[in-house]
Amino acid sequence: MTQPNPTPGVASGDRTGRFVRQPNGHVTPLSPHMGIWRWHVTMAASILFRATLIAASVGLVFVVAWLGALAFGPETYETALALAGSPLGLFVGFGLTVILFSFILNGARHTINDTGNGLTIKSATALSNIAVWAPVPLAILFWVVLFAVGRVSL
Amino acid sequence: MSGAAKFKNKVKISERHGGGEWLAERVLLTALLPLGLWVASTGFTLAGAAYDAVLDWFAKPLNAVLLSVTAVLLFGYLSLAWKVILEDYVPQIGARKALTGLVNLVFFVLAAASLFFIVRLALGSAPLPAGIGA
Repeated sequence: MTQPNPTPGVASGDRTGRFVRQPNGHVTPLSPHMGIWRWHVTMAASILFRATLIAASVGLVFVVAWLGALAFGPETYETALALAGSPLGLFVGFGLTVILFSFILNGARHTINDTGNGLTIKSATALSNIAVWAPVPLAILFWVVLFAVGRVSL
Repeated sequence: MSGAAKFKNKVKISERHGGGEWLAERVLLTALLPLGLWVASTGFTLAGAAYDAVLDWFAKPLNAVLLSVTAVLLFGYLSLAWKVILEDYVPQIGARKALTGLVNLVFFVLAAASLFFIVRLALGSAPLPAGIGA
């Protein structure tokens, strides 16, 4: 990443060393951007919601295919069920549950924040942490129970 | 939908109806949260279920109606979501409009196919392709 080359001291009283001559000739402070930001979980929650929606768009093709397999009769459904029970199929199924839980939790965070609630640093961080980290353990729990009660088996 | 921005009282029209889209996104998402929980419980019920058991599930009107509503709201919400994403990341107007149209078409086809399958399953229709050209 290329950093602009600051020229310290070109503005009178510059004690920050951040003043820089811009391409248009003006001497202005360097915008606080790439060099000064700090990672925070709210950013991850925000971009993960978009990622979830994009992943859901792909995942829904599998769900519609499941509906189609049902509508095409028992033989087609058996084929679809065999595919879904294969290791790759189970991986896709696990992904679908991660997407679903991510959609519910991150969507809840989005809705709470959009109504003007949970916007203090502490609560926004807490909501974001839930939205970012909880979907995977919930999906694991979902599948562990499915296997435990014998609904799904390898 | 024309190319040039329209103005009303020196304010872009797009800046007037954008609030409606924002509200639509919020209403759809709020409706989809409880439906999402219902989908999770449904997925648990139907995972690996036999054909007859699944058809019994679809034969219950409440299930078929809720699933249809979920499909329509979800594809509508995703269409709005993709519009926002494309507006943010595709600066070329032509490409953005083409992609938005393509995304809308894909979601419309998926939603129509979902409803078609759900209605047939709910009515206990004979397996496809019966009834289509045969």
